[in-house]
Amino acid sequence: MKVLEVRNMKKTFSLSRKQRAIEKTKETKKIAVNDLSFTAYPGEIYGLLGPNGAGKTTCLRAISTLIKPDEGDVFVDGFSVREDSYEVRKRIGFLTSELKLEDHFTPNYLFGYFARLHGLNEEETLLRRDELFGRFGIGDFQEVKVADLSTGMKQKASIAISLVHDPEFIIFDEPTNGLDILTAKSVTDYLVELKNAGKTVIVSTHILSVVEKICDRVGIIINGKMKWTDTMDHLHQSSETLEELFFRLFEESEGTL
Amino acid sequence: MKNMMTVFRKEFYRVMSDRRLLFTAVLLPGVAIYVIYSLMGNIIGGQVEEVETHEMIVYTENMSAEFADYLAGSEMNVKYEERDDLTFDEIEVMLLEGNMDLFMSFPSGFDERLVDYEDATELPNVDMFYNPSKQFSSNTYYQFQSQLTAFSQAVGLDRHGLDYYIFTINQADEDYEIFDEQKATGQGLASLLPMLIVMFLFSGAMSIGPDSIAGEKERGTIATLLVTPIKRSDIAIGKVMSLSLVSLMSATSSFIGIMLSLPKLMQGENINLAIYGVFEFVMLFTILLATVLVIVGLISIVSAYAKTIKEASMLILPFYFGAVILGVSSMFSDDTQSNLFLYLIPLYNTIQMLIGILTFEINTAAYLVTMISSLVYVSIFVYILNRMFQSEKIMFSK
Ligand SMILES: Nc1ncnc2c1ncn2[C@@H]1O[C@H](COP(=O)(O)OP(=O)(O)OP(=O)(O)O)[C@@H](O)[C@H]1O
Ligand SMILES: [Mg+2]
Repeated sequence: MKVLEVRNMKKTFSLSRKQRAIEKTKETKKIAVNDLSFTAYPGEIYGLLGPNGAGKTTCLRAISTLIKPDEGDVFVDGFSVREDSYEVRKRIGFLTSELKLEDHFTPNYLFGYFARLHGLNEEETLLRRDELFGRFGIGDFQEVKVADLSTGMKQKASIAISLVHDPEFIIFDEPTNGLDILTAKSVTDYLVELKNAGKTVIVSTHILSVVEKICDRVGIIINGKMKWTDTMDHLHQSSETLEELFFRLFEESEGTL
Repeated sequence: MKNMMTVFRKEFYRVMSDRRLLFTAVLLPGVAIYVIYSLMGNIIGGQVEEVETHEMIVYTENMSAEFADYLAGSEMNVKYEERDDLTFDEIEVMLLEGNMDLFMSFPSGFDERLVDYEDATELPNVDMFYNPSKQFSSNTYYQFQSQLTAFSQAVGLDRHGLDYYIFTINQADEDYEIFDEQKATGQGLASLLPMLIVMFLFSGAMSIGPDSIAGEKERGTIATLLVTPIKRSDIAIGKVMSLSLVSLMSATSSFIGIMLSLPKLMQGENINLAIYGVFEFVMLFTILLATVLVIVGLISIVSAYAKTIKEASMLILPFYFGAVILGVSSMFSDDTQSNLFLYLIPLYNTIQMLIGILTFEINTAAYLVTMISSLVYVSIFVYILNRMFQSEKIMFSK
């Protein structure tokens, strides 16, 4: 089974002086992710839900081998991010939450570039490009510089490019952030398509409705800790709504809202 | 290897397809040098000409009639004025302001004293006041001084016949100025070129390095690149290669600019690059290549360390100034260093080698030390860069 398992992951950052000033703290260390564990399964979308600064990006970066956990490990299809980061990278498609594409290039050029880096040949690249660009309606814009694309089109191009190699594991950090509802819907619809195709999908978000609509499992992460994780089905059987659960957990952990 | 080339091609395409970058990194150095040098050449050339055609303004006091007769034979362009009742303070002011080039004061009765020299108890003295900080004035001084010397020798010959002379200097009809024209030309080039070349290699790499590495961190696009299954060293080397090629192009452009403007800069003096053969050009090229790699390696490391393009540009400046200072120091020495250890110092060795090549004094051992040490530095730089690309602290610092 192509599962993705996060096991007791901990990640601490040392804070620069500038950061301490911004966060108004004297601590020199920040535990961004603390003893985090969860498992994502194929054919499901796992939603990592948490407020700003909860540690979502840190968690997804560790899964994507960009940063190394201090403790614990992540297994992607059985490969450890610590030991086999190369094997892990071959299997994942990662979408960062920041700007992802260089302004100067066209979607077409960048698609070809990343296709080559992922080892696709010309023929595979063309097939895959037609498929993804067609799916997202990028065709007409493929020769327009990224700088001149709309935010929505940029995000669609980024998604297409992060999936050039048709990965089994899809890790998207806040994929609908800053998008209008139409574009957001086309993105979430596509995530559902991917899950139906048997992919393992993890998305982070701070938007409850995204989780409600597309996730099969949810993990609520507050201040670096996993406060609750289960299937949406189980949640629906309980008396609490996702919103009530989220606020209750937040108050329990932080005292106040 | 394949991935390295992919990264290289993309980075190179980035510059080549951007008209603005292409202009600032490749075209501008050549054009700027050409324009600056041509202007400099015109100004310097104009000055030389002016000195030659300038009418010298000489104030005299008790002017010797004998000396005036003697001068009549020369073809100097002089306007003589009498001191009359000018005070010395006024003369000083005129010299300072350039309204007078020379004030020449003979003792009274100078001509008689020359005749009655046998009864004299002391030698007559001629005072010549001039302003060494003014080109016209100092040139006038040198001309009059040599005329006066020649005049005094003529008087001496009259008095004593040949006995007066102990010997003569350079009086046979010979071409006394013996110099290696090639080497002189080479030295002319060597005083300026090394500094300019190093400066332009630097500025070429500086105009694109920060964007290519710190820029990817600043914009966050580095993450997309780092999740691909390719080696970090492929990214590092691919980027360094592309930066090097662009820097070489800007160096070539500056080189062409220098060559085209040299005839104007060194007006009158014959500059003929044909004095350099294939051997010199191969040496020059290999040294430049090694230097480009060292500079690009350095700039890449600084750019990888910085969080933003701006920070990278700031951090590079001290290295740039250091290189310029090394270049300037080379302008004042004719000879190259022979101590081989000095050729271990990056950039310094380049400048020394460039001077050596341009003046035909190639020290093979120094060449080898320079090349090998540069390659070692580059390897170390690329290794460090590779480690930096692997370091999450550096790539994802907040
Ligand atoms: N490279 C870093 N250096 C220092 N501290 C960091 C670093 N990355 C994250 N942090 C800190 O770790 C904590 C978790 O950050 P993270 O970006 O993972 O949160 P997030 O859940 O993604 O928040 P957001 O909703 O704002 O994206 C924050 O306090 C952040 O300031
Ligand atoms: Mg985040």
